Amino acid sequence: MNRALPEMSHCLNGPGNCTDMNVLERQRARMRWQQSYFGGCDSGGVFLEPSQANQVGNFQDLVVGGGGCSVLDDVVTHSVKPDPGLENGWLELGRLELPKLGFGSGGSMNGSPTGLEMNSSISKTSSCPPTEAQSAPEAKGKVSVPAEKMSSAAGRDSSKKRKADKMQNTKVFAEDNAKDKRSKACAEEGESKINTEQARTKNNTSTPTTNNRETSADSSKENSKASEVQKPDYIHVRARRGQATDSHSLAERVRREKISERMKYLQDLVPGCNKITGKAGMLDEIINYVQSLQRQVEFLSMKLAAVNPRLDFNIDDFFAKETIPACSADFPTIGLSSEMTNPAYLQFNPVQQVVACCGFEMGLNSPDMALRRSLSAPVSLPEPYLDASCFTQLQPPPTWDADLQNLLNLEFHQERSISFPYQPFTGSIEASNLKMEI
Amino acid sequence: MASSISETNFEESKRIKRRKTGDELRDPDTIDHTRWRSESEQRIYSTKLFEAIRQVRRNSSPVNKVSSGRDIQDAADRVLAVAAKGRTRWSRAILASRLRLRLAHNNKKHKKARLAKVTGSIRSKMPEKKRFIPALQRKVKVLSRLVPGCRKVSFPNLLEETTDYISALEMQVRAMAALTELLTGSPVDRLASTSDS
Repeated sequence: MNRALPEMSHCLNGPGNCTDMNVLERQRARMRWQQSYFGGCDSGGVFLEPSQANQVGNFQDLVVGGGGCSVLDDVVTHSVKPDPGLENGWLELGRLELPKLGFGSGGSMNGSPTGLEMNSSISKTSSCPPTEAQSAPEAKGKVSVPAEKMSSAAGRDSSKKRKADKMQNTKVFAEDNAKDKRSKACAEEGESKINTEQARTKNNTSTPTTNNRETSADSSKENSKASEVQKPDYIHVRARRGQATDSHSLAERVRREKISERMKYLQDLVPGCNKITGKAGMLDEIINYVQSLQRQVEFLSMKLAAVNPRLDFNIDDFFAKETIPACSADFPTIGLSSEMTNPAYLQFNPVQQVVACCGFEMGLNSPDMALRRSLSAPVSLPEPYLDASCFTQLQPPPTWDADLQNLLNLEFHQERSISFPYQPFTGSIEASNLKMEI
Repeated sequence: MASSISETNFEESKRIKRRKTGDELRDPDTIDHTRWRSESEQRIYSTKLFEAIRQVRRNSSPVNKVSSGRDIQDAADRVLAVAAKGRTRWSRAILASRLRLRLAHNNKKHKKARLAKVTGSIRSKMPEKKRFIPALQRKVKVLSRLVPGCRKVSFPNLLEETTDYISALEMQVRAMAALTELLTGSPVDRLASTSDS
């Protein structure tokens, strides 16, 4: 942009440069026409400013207004440079990139950039911002918003096409008779463009798009558009090529995409949903799964409620969780209930407690979970405990170990072996005595 | 522990009052669903759950003989909601309803209502006249009833909440099963968990 401006000023200063002057003259004429045409209508600020300011400066303002985006800057630069070399009035002017991309041609402008089309698109752009452009910041805000859209959509085919169109949109509307008709046409297209760009939002699509449409359609509405620009929360979306550019359909498409994206997450989460396509089936599975999880929680909580009040022990001292890669469910289970009920257990020194783990199935998600259970647990447990047959004891009475301290640590993927004390707990436990495997 | 939880409840309730029901603008990226799968999260949860259970026992023992499963479940849900750090709707709803219940607890007015609402237990639907609601809508309704606090939430947000809720529930089941395993010394067969013991 900045490069373009010196060019323009240079052109002004150098009367010998015919083409440049032509461009500027045309530009000025365009400005004047625009002023007269729109009268009280306020352009998005980009157009109004030029009418108020110096003609040369108008371009600058326009460029500046749209120059919030580097993409626009580049476009402007590119568009301005080849212009002086051209003789064709329309095409030249069409090439002048105006930053008013946000209101540029809609999907209809995907066609060839002929002069007429350029005009129509340009008139679209011109008519699109019929709202009051209160100030440059607003205009810049508006334009920078579409500018951001431009940059975001740069990778798409349609966007490239639209860019080309916009390059031609600059201010070619000035001298075409058909502009009047086209301006109205492009007003609607501009709406759709605005809506296109603003409708596919992730949030709050409906309000801004409807507002935009109304403002665009009714060129007498002034404030709503500016006020919309100040709404920070809509995301501009661009219609993909070949898709309807209607604001409703765009909003719907965004919504559908949101939903399908989240359904994909859920599909990964809920087991057994890979084969199911379609929302209804997925929802069924999700509902069943949530219900089963809740039932499990209920069941486990009842079980926990039935556990003996031995909870006064500091649990951190005698349990730890760790993951053990080797999971073998086949455990020789030795019923140690008689020993478990050894009242000596009640006098556990927490440090010297050792837990043994027996195989248990953690069906769902934690094949790696291994638990060490404190021997003290079974002591005064009710039935469920005495029925436990999952204690394994690989070796005769081991000794307690200071490894109990390690029980506090969670160690991933480590195989730990702890001894299984069921006798008076003196001495140290040999961790190797008992292998825990899950 | 109790004081911290009550503080959290208070903060949550304050937050909830400020929040509107229905749709919220939310950036999905801010909600990370994978944190429920981390081991540390589970460990933290288990520890807190254990403390909560102990507290429940202490509180309930003078009154009841045995703490009911429901109390434990409520405590577990509450701790889970706290672990969610209030970023999700369901967690806030759990904490809010518990807070409200606590306030009303003295009067023992809404106890039954709370039990039904907070835990999202499966209530058998009352036989109603047949309504020709689209099947999808029906299911969305059912799902919204299952996830606490998500009755008036839009469908995309509901799916978001469900994702997080499922992850959290899975972690809860894992932690509780591990805890049960630890305390009771008997293996907990997940597959058989659907049948009540």
